Amino acid sequence: MTAGPVTTTPAAQVAAVSLAERGSGRPLPARRAVMRRSRRIVLYSVLIVGGVLMMIPFLWMVITSLKTRAEVFGAAPLSLPSGAHWENYVTMWNALPGVTFGTFFLNSLKLALLNTGGQLVTCSMAAYAFAAIPFRGRGPLFGLLLATLIIPSQVVLVPNFILWRSLPNPFSESGSFYGTQEPLWVGAWLGGAFGTFLLRQFFLAIPAELADAARVDGANPWQIFTRIYLPLAKPALATLAIFTFMWTWNDLLNPLIYLQRLDQYTTTVGLAFFQGQYVGKWPEMMAGAMVSLAPMIILFVVAQQYFVRGIALSGLKG
Amino acid sequence: MALPIRLGVVARRRRGPRAGEGWWALLFLAPTLIGLALLSAGPILASLGISLTDWDLLTPPQFVGVDNFVSLAGEDRFLVALRNTAFYTLLSVPIGMVLALALALALNQPLRGIALIRTAYFLPVVTSATAVGLVWSWIYSPASGLLNEVIGVVGLPPQRWISDPFWAMPSIIAMSVWQGLGINVIVFLAGLQAIPQEYYDAAAVDGAARWSRLRHVTLPLLTPSIFFTGILSLIGAFQIFDQVYILARPGRPTEATITLVYFIYESGFKFFRMGEAAAASWILFLIVAVLTVIYFRSQNRWVHYQ
Repeated sequence: MTAGPVTTTPAAQVAAVSLAERGSGRPLPARRAVMRRSRRIVLYSVLIVGGVLMMIPFLWMVITSLKTRAEVFGAAPLSLPSGAHWENYVTMWNALPGVTFGTFFLNSLKLALLNTGGQLVTCSMAAYAFAAIPFRGRGPLFGLLLATLIIPSQVVLVPNFILWRSLPNPFSESGSFYGTQEPLWVGAWLGGAFGTFLLRQFFLAIPAELADAARVDGANPWQIFTRIYLPLAKPALATLAIFTFMWTWNDLLNPLIYLQRLDQYTTTVGLAFFQGQYVGKWPEMMAGAMVSLAPMIILFVVAQQYFVRGIALSGLKG
Repeated sequence: MALPIRLGVVARRRRGPRAGEGWWALLFLAPTLIGLALLSAGPILASLGISLTDWDLLTPPQFVGVDNFVSLAGEDRFLVALRNTAFYTLLSVPIGMVLALALALALNQPLRGIALIRTAYFLPVVTSATAVGLVWSWIYSPASGLLNEVIGVVGLPPQRWISDPFWAMPSIIAMSVWQGLGINVIVFLAGLQAIPQEYYDAAAVDGAARWSRLRHVTLPLLTPSIFFTGILSLIGAFQIFDQVYILARPGRPTEATITLVYFIYESGFKFFRMGEAAAASWILFLIVAVLTVIYFRSQNRWVHYQ
């Protein structure tokens, strides 16, 4: 700039300065910065408005669950409740004869934990065999397992129902496993294609030298599995645990088919039943939805990274 | 005598540190093998057998050949379920993918507070379709529902949404897109973050503008993720059930809302027509299988692997 052309008149000076500026390219980054900032503001606004839109169903659920029925049908829809009417939660909790919503909640929790435990144990065992033990027929067997992953689960609905219905069970009223909770968790203790696939991928990345060293020290495969592979696979196990928990907690179709009595119901079937009984009683229904969603929302907030990793790896929701 | 010698050769060739561990595999795989036989691979074959029978679970099954398939082809409610499922898939899959792609591109920026914004988009994914279905049935309610209140503000007339044959399926699609958006966004974000910076540097050297970088670098390199979400969305869309059960069930799903899996549920577990339900589930399987094969065949033409 100091080496600019020597001029005398003010007009010429201005022209020279602006020429020099254009030449040196200085205002260009400034303009680009302005553009970048305005683009960023637009982006922020769009994302935030979109995010709020995404949350509106949840906000509306919470607001409605705290309103009186008169407010729900009278006041403006997104207006705040006149006070927190927690009694909706109490009414909802005791709405059905003979059981409380707590029963549904405990049933869901029990099934989710049993499924999660079963999948962690049996999928990790199978994954270890597929990843670390050479045996004849390993490839075809793994292929068969993967094939079951792409077949819609509804195809086995009818035969599995008939199987559980024909297995004798002296402890139930029906004399079979129909109308019991067993069909909803026993299968989880018999492996699973998704979990086995996920954990096998993880196990394959563990260097074989670690296992070889343990073998030299006299460790058998079970010890190598439990002391080397499992501790190293904690992130993958967490992902599988969270997904299995979520799938069981959110499942509607299977509990609908197998469960017969109110005291066996999970939160999903309980809510669906509640919906049929409580037509138009939105505050109580939203309170029920709120209670059944709370565990998944808390789990998501606490373990978001595992959810994201699991979905990025598999794209599966269930 | 020849056999043991040959086995000996194989064993010697394989003798590494892990030789002789083969039978351990059986131990590790025992639960999976039982599950495969009794609960997945076995039942898939059994289902085909059942589809060839007339079976109400009270009397012994009668072999009827392909009668179930023939009668399904002429049953209005089944054909309507097929049409509705196809309509749902044709709309929800492309809309969900395009929205997710746009969102992923926006969310991939290094903005402050982006993690919190992402959470808002991911949260619906983990919630049950049953519980959020109740919320959406309240949103769609003709009496004081949120949607009618909102469109009333801009002067549009109220609609009956779920109970209106025209709006019923679009309403279900809107809820499904809302709920499933986060899954595709996460997959796309993972895909975007896997694109090496060098490609963008090279494009910048060539003077490529923003749009051109998107068109010639980002999108081609994202095609594996697009392919992946496409197939999973497609398979998932054909299995839609929960949303229909919650939103459209009060009463019974009408001609406008019944889907394939709802038909299977109704025929098998309401009316106990096991043969018909199994046949319908095999038709579902065959449709999904054919579409999957066509889709995989198409990947040579548009999917670029790095």
